[in-house]
Amino acid sequence: MNNIKKNRLKDQAFKVWGIACTLLGLVLLLIFLGNIFTDGIQRINWSFLMNLPSRSPEKAGIYTALMGSLWVLSLTTIFALPVGIAAAIYLEEYGKKNKLASILEVNISNLAGVPSIIYGLLGLEVFVRMMEMGSSVLAGSLTLGLLILPIVIVSTREAIKAVPKSIRDASYAMGASKWQTIYFQVLPASFGGILTGVILALSRAVGETAPLIVIGALAYVPFAPLSPMDQFSVLPIQIFNWITRPQPGFVENAAAAIIILLLITFVMNGIAVYFRNKWQKKLK
Amino acid sequence: MAREKNESVIESSLKRKYKLQAKGVNVFYDDFQAIKGISMNIKPNSVTAFIGPSGCGKSTFLRLFNRMNDYVDGFRMEGKIFIDNHNINKKKVNVEQLRKQVGMVFQKPNPFPKSIFENVAYGLKIQGIKDKTFLQERVESALKQVVLWEEVKDNLNKSALALSGGQQQRLCIARTLAVEPSVILMDEPTSALDPLSTAKIEELIHELKDKYTIVIVTHNMQQAGRISDYTAFFYLGEIIEFDKTNKIFTNPEKKQTENYITGRFG
Amino acid sequence: MTNLDQYRESLKQSGLEMFELCEKQMLKSKEAFLNHDSDLAEEVIHTENRVNALDLKIERDCERFIALYTPVAGDLRFVLALRKINFDLERVGDHAYGVAKYIIEINIPIDPKLLENLRFIEMYDSALSMLDDIKESYIDDDTKKARKVYKKDKVLNKININAFKVISEEVKKDPNLIDQYLLLFSIIKKIERIGDLITNIAEEIIFYREAEILKHQKKKKVRKPSKE
Repeated sequence: MNNIKKNRLKDQAFKVWGIACTLLGLVLLLIFLGNIFTDGIQRINWSFLMNLPSRSPEKAGIYTALMGSLWVLSLTTIFALPVGIAAAIYLEEYGKKNKLASILEVNISNLAGVPSIIYGLLGLEVFVRMMEMGSSVLAGSLTLGLLILPIVIVSTREAIKAVPKSIRDASYAMGASKWQTIYFQVLPASFGGILTGVILALSRAVGETAPLIVIGALAYVPFAPLSPMDQFSVLPIQIFNWITRPQPGFVENAAAAIIILLLITFVMNGIAVYFRNKWQKKLK
Repeated sequence: MAREKNESVIESSLKRKYKLQAKGVNVFYDDFQAIKGISMNIKPNSVTAFIGPSGCGKSTFLRLFNRMNDYVDGFRMEGKIFIDNHNINKKKVNVEQLRKQVGMVFQKPNPFPKSIFENVAYGLKIQGIKDKTFLQERVESALKQVVLWEEVKDNLNKSALALSGGQQQRLCIARTLAVEPSVILMDEPTSALDPLSTAKIEELIHELKDKYTIVIVTHNMQQAGRISDYTAFFYLGEIIEFDKTNKIFTNPEKKQTENYITGRFG
Repeated sequence: MTNLDQYRESLKQSGLEMFELCEKQMLKSKEAFLNHDSDLAEEVIHTENRVNALDLKIERDCERFIALYTPVAGDLRFVLALRKINFDLERVGDHAYGVAKYIIEINIPIDPKLLENLRFIEMYDSALSMLDDIKESYIDDDTKKARKVYKKDKVLNKININAFKVISEEVKKDPNLIDQYLLLFSIIKKIERIGDLITNIAEEIIFYREAEILKHQKKKKVRKPSKE
């Protein structure tokens, strides 16, 4: 076989292999989704969403867990967003680009990879015990906030880096101060990228279970939180709790709750993708 | 105008008739010396071209006049730069104020990813000017000066990035004109453009000369011949020759200049 | 108007100035000669400085135009033609100056009959009208007008050749007339040269407009212009 034919064969072989790998992932995901759907879709109705947890599967609902998740999501956003974006702006725009800065950059990326349960331990010691917040929504949000902070910082920095130097030069040459340049040019231009990063970080937070368990989020909470100091539960914990019960009805419940959780995650990711596309178009 | 210490009467009266001056300027980037002992006087309402091979300090020297080199790591300067007889490197000088007097146009057109109107109004916006009528007048006037008004007047809210390369560069020029500077620095403004857009911009420069003092770095010698009154030939951080353009192009003093102009340079 | 157009326009104006200056020199020297007006002749001699200065200025400006604008096509042909036209006009002015010098240095009365025999005034007027024609052609970029001068130049040549015969005969009849005839002959020679110079200028204008070089060609008949 001559070279041309060999190369063509290699080409085809790689194509087939690539398609197979892609299909593998897709097929597995479809099987998983299909499974969950068939198990849980019938269970979803208004009462399921509005009921409090109960020992009987038919009466149990995800209301408290859902509220808990929403509370935690909100407070995490309030904490992580301003801090993370401000830190990223400082590091990228004001920080000196020396050895210390590059060490810092590497370590922040490392933090993003630290197992989430460690954040849970940190949160337990600092927020729950030392700062005496107890196992409250606030403690949980702060813990998750710390968890996603490195992700927010890194993705914000990337978005800011992507703003071309020529834009900054033009702004400075017009007599704008550093802050004016950041506020009027850099941030608006990187907004889409920042938003994408933030939404992705938040959609990860919404699914975190281990750190919240460590800080003491309850598995069985008969009420929705009314203040940040209240105890709470979240959807993943509720799902975990139901799966460990023997009654088959709870399996159905768990599947239904998973569908809700997936829905939230997919919607958030979808928004992120939409904004990323819009942002990329704008910069062209 | 107060005389600086150790300055002769002649020197200080010379200052009055020049718009831009450099005195014994050296520029270093860490250990590398980019500019070696350059002194220069530029008259108001003239076009001065900087020519010379790449990397010989033309852009660096140009940027001394609006202090854009301040952002480069390791930048260090000796000597003095005067604009309208004021030393612009003194501590009390407000750099932002300086850049309103001295506008800059870059090699690759760099409009902001905003609308055409917002681009041109930016310089005024950052000064805190909010009066809509005033902004509209200035924007219109600036766009008319660069002969872009007729083409865009119905689309001021469209993205500036939708314009062609030549239009974008004219937009960038309008952007600097809107704040009414007295000096315009241009760093190879047409090297990224097609010949027709280049010709339009050269014509524009010719018309702007009446109101502004223009300094332009160019790699295109024919361009320097066409549009400039004075030309400075840079080589390895020094000025080999600085004279009226028609002298440089018909009978330069230095052999090096002649070699460069005639294309015999290595 | 672009920068280049402005410069070119000013070059054209300088050329026109040269035309008018040399035309005036020729007119004055004719008048001065026919009227024995030595004051007028002095004027012509004085004005020669201006002619020389303008010649140098145009030379310099043409050089500058080429160096600064690297002209091509029509612009290039224009400036190349202008340099030669300028050179030829300067020589025309020079001849007028020469006539004026004769008036000052050789002050002898001329018998009008001799002028008639030689068709002197007719020749001078023909040359002056040629100069006017070519000036118009220059102003209007009109090659048709340029070609008109060839016919008139033939008249000049005829009168020039004839002069030799006439003078030869007349002097044999009356040797005392030699002084006057010598003077007249010298001036006729100059006018004939002026005619040649003007046809040169016509060639230059045709070259500039049509990119055709007519130098050294026999101009037997008036050719139709090929492109406008």
